[in-house]
Amino acid sequence: MFRAILEKEIRDLLGSTKFVLTFAVSAVLIIGAFAIGATRHNLNLRQYEASVAENLRQLDGLTDWNQMEQNRVFLPPQPLAALVSGVSNDIGRTITVTGRGELTATDSRYGEDPIYAVFRFLDLKFIFHIVFSLFAILLGFDAVCGEKERGTLRLALANAVPRHTFIAGKLVGSVAALAVSLLIAVGAGCLLLPVMGVSLSGGDWIRLVLIVLTGLLYFGAFLTMSVFVSAVTHRSSSSFMAMLVIWIVGVLIVPRVSVLLAGRAIDVPSVDHMSAQKASYREQLWKESRELMANFQPKANTACAATDFGRFMDSLMDVREARTQIYTARLNEERYNRQQEQQKLAFNIARVSPSTSLTLATSALAGTFLTLKEHFVDEASGYQDAYGQFIKEKTGLNPAAGIKVIKIGESNQEPIDPDELPRFGYRPIPLDQSVASAAGDVGILAIFNLLFFAGGFLAFSRYDVR
Amino acid sequence: MKTSHNNRPVLEAVDLTKRYEDGVLALDHVNFAIPAGELFAMLGGNGAGKTTTVNLFLNLLEPTEGEARVNGVAAHLEPLKAKSQMAFVSENVMLYPNFTAIQNLDFFAKLSGHDEYGTRYYRDVLLRVGLAEESHNKRLKGFSKGMRQKCGIAIAILKNAPAILLDEPTAGLDPKAGHDFIQLLDSLRREGKAILMSTHDIFRAREVADTIAIMDCGRIIMQKRAAELQGQDLVQIYMRYMAGRTESSPIAAPVES
Repeated sequence: MFRAILEKEIRDLLGSTKFVLTFAVSAVLIIGAFAIGATRHNLNLRQYEASVAENLRQLDGLTDWNQMEQNRVFLPPQPLAALVSGVSNDIGRTITVTGRGELTATDSRYGEDPIYAVFRFLDLKFIFHIVFSLFAILLGFDAVCGEKERGTLRLALANAVPRHTFIAGKLVGSVAALAVSLLIAVGAGCLLLPVMGVSLSGGDWIRLVLIVLTGLLYFGAFLTMSVFVSAVTHRSSSSFMAMLVIWIVGVLIVPRVSVLLAGRAIDVPSVDHMSAQKASYREQLWKESRELMANFQPKANTACAATDFGRFMDSLMDVREARTQIYTARLNEERYNRQQEQQKLAFNIARVSPSTSLTLATSALAGTFLTLKEHFVDEASGYQDAYGQFIKEKTGLNPAAGIKVIKIGESNQEPIDPDELPRFGYRPIPLDQSVASAAGDVGILAIFNLLFFAGGFLAFSRYDVR
Repeated sequence: MKTSHNNRPVLEAVDLTKRYEDGVLALDHVNFAIPAGELFAMLGGNGAGKTTTVNLFLNLLEPTEGEARVNGVAAHLEPLKAKSQMAFVSENVMLYPNFTAIQNLDFFAKLSGHDEYGTRYYRDVLLRVGLAEESHNKRLKGFSKGMRQKCGIAIAILKNAPAILLDEPTAGLDPKAGHDFIQLLDSLRREGKAILMSTHDIFRAREVADTIAIMDCGRIIMQKRAAELQGQDLVQIYMRYMAGRTESSPIAAPVES
């Protein structure tokens, strides 16, 4: 009997004009999102390679590493970031590495192309977010009340069918039919990636599969919610209106309101305020250094005076740098902690909507969550140490010491070898870290599914079929 | 061939009473019994309690008092057992519009526990209820009301239950379709089915029923065998009862608690 209801539900859904139309639109959008993502990734890759080449080109013809103006590292484009962009377009993709000091990522994609900041990219996560939820609502809002309006519910329950069997068949049937059809569209989109020249590692494929499964859980949450609402209403128009309101509030309002509420509840010092504090401290340190510089006495041997002064300045800078780092680290940590508290509160408020969990889980899995910026800067910091060491070896001086000693007239005028420059080997956020970060939200989506499934069950057991 | 196996009723209402939560008394100690091979017609205006009676047999409502029994099984106590012995045809049958007639029959046959039927049998039943062969594989969304009603009765036949409940089955049917439908009911009655039919259609009731009851305000105000009404004008009788109702007993009003 369960099987008969399941088969009926699948056949009824897949045979409806409503399904054909909504699925056609959804499939085009899903496959389109993959195609756009692949195109954008290929473009980003070309831009990245050009930037890396340009950075090395500045070394052409140089004979001294001291002459190197600036060394920049770039965030390599990840294929999944083109599908689930997360914060990857908001954060800077370039960091200028001087060898010491605080690193800042600049040149965000939205900064370069503000038009995308206004309209945003049509990525896979956006499609999941909007299309999956609407697809679920459009095909689930009349699951129970629609059958009541048609009179088929009364006729079906005039048979010896337990209500729990009937609703279970409907729920499982609709989830299976719609999820499989969406999977077909997603599968076709996935196949496009290698066809369009996007190479995914094994880890990337695992991430993509997990992202799709998360999307299906999100879809399931809206579908079971729609069936639940249809089992507490008696007219499909009421059910549709209720789901529309839930969708607007859940998908569009809640995430934005949560940020506002968290912002009001927890105050985070602004970046400008922090910069002013850091600048003031640096000024104070310089003042102290200047007093020491005024007392500098070169040694008698004037030939070594310049080198001595350079070393003296170096030592001053080391002290300044160490103290600045401690002060900056304290300020940054304070701000970071407040920011984390604020984010945590905002996310927890927003998690009343499945859309938040989808956003957080998919961006974590794609490696484009908020931690991406931090990770990029950490990776660049690691590189900065290696770079600083390299420059010191080559020039004998700390990089960015505020002084450059260029030796003129020496015999060695051979051009430097750019290949000697340490390469920035970016390591994406590890898979296990991404999965751990996404697990909570995936769990929340699973709970939404179970709750609404159970809700639909209970509501239908008391449903007035007449 | 009329087969009254014994006098034990297949469908039986025993002091069947339904009071809704808002206090409206929809059914007030209704009693009747329908043995195998008989058709019991319930006449009455809107709100008389006809559909409530059907819903109580189908356990779509719980009785406040009394019992609706099917072969001795109280519908509200053992609903699945009771339902397994009843087929139901509603007013304005609306089946699954995206399914063909055969697919609809297949689903409802399986729902009633008959997995063994095949397409050939479905076709035979559809032909028996008068649905032309070229319609069997067409989607129901293009069917007329009469065609859907035929599918509805075909589903009831497939269930092969001893009792059939019909809620306003001829409402909206054209005279020819109505006539065909009544002929079909007659043949089912002859096969030994106990049939409970709620209807507004006095003429059809007169034509086919073994017992006719007039309901008003949740009560049976007249119940007679068809033979007793021989030579009498049922319309006049009905109008006389209805006129009496309007003078003395208004339609069930909320009862103060």
